Amino acid sequence: MKRTHIVIILIIAVAIGAIIATINDASTYVGFSEANANPNTTYTVIGYLDKDASMNYDARSNQFEFGAVDKEGIRKKVVYHQPKPQDFERSEEITMKGYSTDSAFVAKEILMKCPSKYNETNELEGYQTYD
Amino acid sequence: MEYIGEHTLPGLAGRFFVSLALVSALISALAYYFSYTKKDKSYQKLARTSFLIHTGSIIGVVACLFYLMTSHYFEYDYVWKHSSLDLPGKYIFSAFWEGQEGSFILWMFWHVILGTLLMYTARKWEAPAMIVFALVQAFLASMILGVYLGDLKIGSSPFVLMRNTPENIGLPWTQVSDYLEKFPAFMDGSGLNPLLQNYWMTIHPPVLFLGFASTLAPFALAMAGLFTRDYGGWVKTALPWSFFSVMILGTGILMGGAWAYEALSFGGFWAWDPVENSSLVPWITMTGGAHLLLVYRNRKTGLHWSFFMVIVTFLLILYSTFLTRSGVLGDSSVHAFVDLGLSGQLLIYLLFFVILALGIFIYHFRKIPSAPKDDELSSKEFWMFIGSLVLLISAFQIIFSTSIPVINKVFGPEGILSLSDKKLAPPLEPIKHYNSFQIPFAIVIALLIGIAQWLNYKHTKGKTFFKRMLRSLVISLLLTLGVSYWFEFWQEPLYLILLFASLFAIITNIDYWLILGKGKMSFTGSSIAHIGFGLIIAGALISNAKQKIISRSDVFLSEDMPSNEHALMELSDSTRLGNYVAVFNGMRDEGGKQFYDVTYYSRQDSNSTLKEEFRLSPFLQMSDNMGPTPNPSTAHFWNRDIYTHVTYSSYLEPETDDGYRSEMEVDLSRGDTAIYQDHFVIMDSLRIKASYTEDTRELAKLRLTAKLRVVNVFGEEFWAEPVYVLEGNTLSFEDAFLDDQKFKFRLEDINTTTNKIVLKAWTQAKKDEKPFIVMKAIVFPMINLLWIGCILMAIGSGIAVWQRVKNR
Repeated sequence: MKRTHIVIILIIAVAIGAIIATINDASTYVGFSEANANPNTTYTVIGYLDKDASMNYDARSNQFEFGAVDKEGIRKKVVYHQPKPQDFERSEEITMKGYSTDSAFVAKEILMKCPSKYNETNELEGYQTYD
Repeated sequence: MEYIGEHTLPGLAGRFFVSLALVSALISALAYYFSYTKKDKSYQKLARTSFLIHTGSIIGVVACLFYLMTSHYFEYDYVWKHSSLDLPGKYIFSAFWEGQEGSFILWMFWHVILGTLLMYTARKWEAPAMIVFALVQAFLASMILGVYLGDLKIGSSPFVLMRNTPENIGLPWTQVSDYLEKFPAFMDGSGLNPLLQNYWMTIHPPVLFLGFASTLAPFALAMAGLFTRDYGGWVKTALPWSFFSVMILGTGILMGGAWAYEALSFGGFWAWDPVENSSLVPWITMTGGAHLLLVYRNRKTGLHWSFFMVIVTFLLILYSTFLTRSGVLGDSSVHAFVDLGLSGQLLIYLLFFVILALGIFIYHFRKIPSAPKDDELSSKEFWMFIGSLVLLISAFQIIFSTSIPVINKVFGPEGILSLSDKKLAPPLEPIKHYNSFQIPFAIVIALLIGIAQWLNYKHTKGKTFFKRMLRSLVISLLLTLGVSYWFEFWQEPLYLILLFASLFAIITNIDYWLILGKGKMSFTGSSIAHIGFGLIIAGALISNAKQKIISRSDVFLSEDMPSNEHALMELSDSTRLGNYVAVFNGMRDEGGKQFYDVTYYSRQDSNSTLKEEFRLSPFLQMSDNMGPTPNPSTAHFWNRDIYTHVTYSSYLEPETDDGYRSEMEVDLSRGDTAIYQDHFVIMDSLRIKASYTEDTRELAKLRLTAKLRVVNVFGEEFWAEPVYVLEGNTLSFEDAFLDDQKFKFRLEDINTTTNKIVLKAWTQAKKDEKPFIVMKAIVFPMINLLWIGCILMAIGSGIAVWQRVKNR
């Protein structure tokens, strides 16, 4: 057996290790119901801003609270200990990484997807009134 | 119908050039094929002419689009979406390549420049290599074709008029002949994303796309090597191209990092974002490939791997194009492109070249010569080979983790081959995940860079090797001790080893260059590039591992909750930030930007006077489309940067004329409860009082009173009764005030379909409340090492390219 073969086998072993580690490190997208079932376990939840719930940012304690609805329609209060993201009201979709507690979902990280410029073409002023 | 005021000619010209580019690329590929199989000079002439026509067409496409953008012809969809009248002229380039179509054009532009160069210099490799070039260009040209075959969309054209886009077609305004004059929306474009209005965005994309384009030349030459069965001959021609690729792609990626550091607010130059990863991975494999080509040229071994790395690099460029442009990364990256409906076409493009390239490679695999003997353990080539494999595995780890959304698409619950009922999400802590692999890989690479410089090809005597090494080893050990003492690296053994490895790479290469190479030109390129790499690793390590968030307060919110990393700064109050005392001096509104002036002072220990150190003005870019976008401001010193960005500002809070803010709007029906500022607001009942005119029995006056029960945390009850009054056609409100809580309630509207009232609540802003900002400030020590390293690596690779071109 050539030395290079041994090296290649080692490399393949590391590659398999990388695959296994990635799958272990990967989280799963869940809804609030599953996050609620396992409190204190970290999940990634994709949802939308609940426009009916109150939204409040207290700059002094640096706590931002809002309501979210997940894709299954379950509502939950979300607490985020970071400043309120700019333009949060306009977000289309919110990806939240965090864990559930009895009273709220504690988000450690929030990613927002904002409406793309593409959609705004439809909102050109004026065309609806003209015939 | 005749439309008034449209400029259709440049658009038609653009479309014509796109079609011509596609056709001429196909003809060129075909003619090159015949010129190669029939060895006929006339075919070669046809092929060259076609490729030159293709080059001319691409330049024509570029010219047309530039003309449209600089003339502000907003009837064109691309111009409207990516520019506006008030866009400064220097950002017209950024606007040009902001969209997918423009960046495809940029990519094709570099391909034709490099292709023309290759055509006249490749000699015996010309025909087979140019077939590959022309085919790639044909695929790319089809991406901006923008034609429909039935319902099938082929490409997305930047020359489409707004009234012809699928989302607008059939809308009433498209039937108006003078729509351009009638509707204000067409007077001005929607503008460029404020994040891209940065000088780095003017130079980063062209360099990065030149880097992407440069990987095609070695790939085309490798393919030519397989076609012609001259399996080793192409290496010499491909060598300068591959080091050129390493240089340009590396520079482009790091410029992207510089942009992120200057203009984005995540605080750093690298975040393992999928889009960043997918351009880094081809650079890693190209670096491995270029080194393997070097091994082959000197020792005639490792040819299979050379082929593999060069081919895989180009395929990874296509894969990253697919990842960033097909919309598959939607959930996991903030800055991937929006899907234009080209994902199918992109997938075909990717699969075509994957199957073609790997198929040909496997077909020829057994015929590619390999060295009869194993490389010696003490030979340079063996360790360079190991290094390249480590690079390959490092690339594999990054691309595998980045591909989680793709794995989801294939094996996830809604996938083609559903193996898992769960939808995988990217790692929760991406930086930790990637670092756990990439730090060990970086250690091995940095050590190999140092060691391999002192080894000879074929065989090295142990005694000479150790004698040569000893000095570098001692110096770098001493240096590691010094640096780790200064920056306190003792706690983290992995960081400590990486620090040593990077310093070792730097020192050995300086030593090698000055002592062994005596500063000779042939040693210079590789030494400087490797010193640069070592500095990048050292700079990244120190600035990241030892970064200090000085706006952090030590108050913990709860046991497992990190302390507050953001400082609240009131106007003209001083706040302690690390060793500094900072004062927020106020906000300036200048041309759509809100600048927040912050002055940093240092405290003199002996007496408590403050000395002004520097001023920073992070700003919020206000834009109608994107809302306020934060832009950091950084103070640069030789040994550290102080990075500052505003995360929240009280100037953004809308305030009513009578001094109320924190607006909440909520729909309530009877018995519903809303929570507002730690109070329950319960809708108790609604009183309706209506009066009618005597003669016509029409509604004369409507008076609605909502009875609200407000309960605080102690259970104390308060009552508020906002009133909605409609008198004839006049609407008025009688707001209810709660003096203790400083609340104001308004019965805004009645929703008759859901039977709910629309309630608005505000809180009175405190009279003496000062404006404030919430700010994050981070100190990055020694980050200049990283930038110096980047420059050195680019210069070093440049010298290496020049050397290889000269030695051809």
